[in-house]
Amino acid sequence: MTRTYTPWFLLVVALALAAVYLFPLYWMYVTSLKTGSEIFANPPTFWPREPNPDIYPETWARRTMPVFLLNSVIIAGGITAITVILGTGCAYVLARYRNVWIDIGLFCVLMLQVLPASVMVTPLFVGFNQIGLLNYPRTAVVLAAAAKAMPFFVVLVRATFMSVPRELEEAALVDGNSRVGAFFSIVLPLARNGILVCAILTFMSAFGEYIYSKSIIQSPSLQPASVGLSGFLGPNSTDWSSIMAYSAIYVTPILLVFVILQRRIVSGLTSGALK
Amino acid sequence: MQFTKISLLAGLALGALVAATPAQAEDVTITVWSIDGANQVGPSDTFSAEFDAMDNGINVEYRVLQFDEIVNETLRAYATGNAPDIVSLDNPDFALFSSRGAFLDITDMAAQSDIINPEAYFEGPLNSVSWDGRLYGVGKYTDTIGVFYNKDMFAAAGIENPPKTWAEFEDYARKLAKPAEGVYGATLSARGNEEGTFQFLPVIQMSGGGYENVNTEGAREWLSMVKGMIDDGVLSQDVLSLGQWDSTGTFNSGNAAMAISGPWEIDRMVEDADFDWGVTLLPTFGEGDERSSALGGFNLGIMSTTKHPEEAFKVLEYFVSQDDRLFPEFGYLPTRGDVELPASGIEKKDAALAVFQEQLKYAQPRGPHPEWQKISKAIYDAEQAALTGQMTPDEALSQAQATIDTIIKK
Amino acid sequence: MTRFLNALRDGVGFDILLVGAALLFLLALAGAPLVYNVLMSFQQVDMFTLGVLFRPFVGFDNYVAVVQQPEFWMVTRNTLVFVFGSMTGQFVLGFALALFFAQDFPGASTIRGLFLVSWVMPGLVVGAIWSWILAGDFGVLNVILKSLGIIQNNVFWKSDPNFSIWAVIIANIWLGLAFNMLLLSVGLAAIPRDLYEAAELDGANAFQRFWTITLPMMRSTIGAVLSLGLIGTLQQFDLFPALTEGGPANTSNVAGFWSWQLSFQLYDFAKGATVSVMMFLLVLFASVIYVRSTRHEVRG
Repeated sequence: MTRTYTPWFLLVVALALAAVYLFPLYWMYVTSLKTGSEIFANPPTFWPREPNPDIYPETWARRTMPVFLLNSVIIAGGITAITVILGTGCAYVLARYRNVWIDIGLFCVLMLQVLPASVMVTPLFVGFNQIGLLNYPRTAVVLAAAAKAMPFFVVLVRATFMSVPRELEEAALVDGNSRVGAFFSIVLPLARNGILVCAILTFMSAFGEYIYSKSIIQSPSLQPASVGLSGFLGPNSTDWSSIMAYSAIYVTPILLVFVILQRRIVSGLTSGALK
Repeated sequence: MQFTKISLLAGLALGALVAATPAQAEDVTITVWSIDGANQVGPSDTFSAEFDAMDNGINVEYRVLQFDEIVNETLRAYATGNAPDIVSLDNPDFALFSSRGAFLDITDMAAQSDIINPEAYFEGPLNSVSWDGRLYGVGKYTDTIGVFYNKDMFAAAGIENPPKTWAEFEDYARKLAKPAEGVYGATLSARGNEEGTFQFLPVIQMSGGGYENVNTEGAREWLSMVKGMIDDGVLSQDVLSLGQWDSTGTFNSGNAAMAISGPWEIDRMVEDADFDWGVTLLPTFGEGDERSSALGGFNLGIMSTTKHPEEAFKVLEYFVSQDDRLFPEFGYLPTRGDVELPASGIEKKDAALAVFQEQLKYAQPRGPHPEWQKISKAIYDAEQAALTGQMTPDEALSQAQATIDTIIKK
Repeated sequence: MTRFLNALRDGVGFDILLVGAALLFLLALAGAPLVYNVLMSFQQVDMFTLGVLFRPFVGFDNYVAVVQQPEFWMVTRNTLVFVFGSMTGQFVLGFALALFFAQDFPGASTIRGLFLVSWVMPGLVVGAIWSWILAGDFGVLNVILKSLGIIQNNVFWKSDPNFSIWAVIIANIWLGLAFNMLLLSVGLAAIPRDLYEAAELDGANAFQRFWTITLPMMRSTIGAVLSLGLIGTLQQFDLFPALTEGGPANTSNVAGFWSWQLSFQLYDFAKGATVSVMMFLLVLFASVIYVRSTRHEVRG
């Protein structure tokens, strides 16, 4: 390998790839700034003729976005909390042994998430109604969506635990630690980075939770931003530039957080954290 | 991390507390579900709030739902005993509930009422709330479709009048299309959902058919005509995936010379279109032939599970008593002939409305049939199969007919 | 009792508690709905019986009726095309990107982070954006392809029966790329460097190194990526209503969307449940593959 020029060439390629990949994101921002009829123009314009940034404050105020976004944060936070609490222990055990029971356990975790949320929502609605949980709609959504997020989390975190050297845990047990003690004082700290990163990823995808929320949460003041977005799709009219503006407001904060954190996320997962 | 977890859980608990609002014991509460009020103020949300503010021992709790979801939410709520007292549904969905007695039979209450008079309603909307000769609700507002045309383009091409027959529609569209400039002769919606059926069923009806008899000669001819126009680039192929609002958007931006759509387009067109435009009735097959058009709009009904039928009927009466405000305040057309529409003062808008009001006389409901959605899917699937050339019009319509036969025979 | 507590604190009981809590949670919130759907597929369901478990039993009638639907075979074919196309695209591109970013160059990890953006985007938003990009007349993809000379005339991605399923696949590949690349990057990073150095000393070229070291070492990662990818692809829903609604004439309809359409647009709940149970069988197959792939794992 000639290490003097190759890396810079690769950087250029990487930037080009990223530009292609991020184009849809750019298109979201551009479309939000176009007027109602310009978005139908043929051929389309790559930069709006008269950019209309006012659409952002308008949409923000008209759709009570602060409330929606706060609900999204609460719901995604709840989903993440439950997933992390229940999923971590499960992943740890599934990584610790290698026998037919573990196979069955893994198999169950995967199979239980097969049905699409759209099909599961009716039975869940019926069940939640029976036990009165519909009166606490956000809690209900958190529980339902956590079950959907769990398998992914378990599979990823299990990989993290796989890379914690077993000798360390055994040494702790020899030193007189109980299983519980060894788990909390040795294994968990070693896997911390991986768990944290998986929790962040769970939070981010839970931020877009839609199907359960729209059926279970009736009051607009408790609905997350995804449900607020679909309110734009009327029977005979669709306000596309507002939809795009709303989408932009919806995803930009989380994109920013992501861009700030992404170095840690990626390196947390790829270099050493899993070891 | 630990700290955030705790605060998130605390937030959750707090949210749950907020969710449990105390119920009023003394007053009767009537819940109303509708799609109004999601994007802009609409009639049901406004009237509900007004009635709620009155001091008459009846409170109204209003919930706004999405258009796609309102039937599902109502079904689910009905099955679990949480149904609202009053719900507003798209007219073809109404029979799903009324045919099974899930809506309250209000025939007798309406006969006693000074406000609700079934005879005042247009035939189409009235049919859509009736089942087996009984009345299960009232029309809320209505709409229909016609042909919008770009007068400037017509003048430039030397065409004087808008098309009266489908043959003229094709002829003009071919003359007006300018592929090199990205201008299509016409646009419409043949989308794979209720909107496709909404625009295609009138064609079947005006050629002597109906939803129970779809394979008419006229329908086959029309499909071949539209397919030919798509193949020759006179119509965009995207009419197969665009809804009416987006399809008419291309008309507004000057990329199509004619557009089939309804009165909900008018306000946006007044604002966006920088050309002269007009509306004409939906074409017929021969001059002076039978006319037809689609019947759109929503109905209101009281669910049969209501605990307070009389109070719910009072709320319904209040809604109906405000029908004269539908058009001036919200831009919707009432479903009754005895409500005057005041002129808006916008010349193009008033001219367009006059056309749509005439068109409403020919509007026919979809159904009513309890399994309308399945019939509708057979119809739009056939339209799409024929327009994409996967089947000939005859094959496509025969297949739809076979599907529809099994649904109707049940 | 003390023995029980001791086991809980210090033996297998601890493991059972940890796994049991999660599995019970999943059984209640995912298992019960599954049973409900399986039951429903053998029953006659209408709006009055939606809320109860015991309804008239109809045997395999719903299954027969679903198979007899004129669109059944088209939906089956589309489902296979969609799953295969999406997964191949996501996996191959994801793997290529993961390999590319595993190289040592300035900014590698920063730019790789940007590729995870689609992970953060809600499906609803992604669907809306792609529906604009893929539009036939005013879509930007056609303009780009035309200016590159790849196509002469506009392609009606969403309306042409030959392309409609590919329109959804393209959007879905974009959406799933982040997930694939992330997991594969993690797998790549776990391979010890010295293996490659040793192979290089032995004179193995890049292709041989990939074939004899990378692939075998990544076996379990690939198993996880593919099986989770299959589940994710079969569950993909948000893109369909935004892009094609399964049209034109069912040419882009797949099992997941069809099941939803039957249940929630045509209000035929039993048939919708039947289709979802059929999908379940497909995933059963995939899960077996995944679990088998974990057999070869080595704990580090």
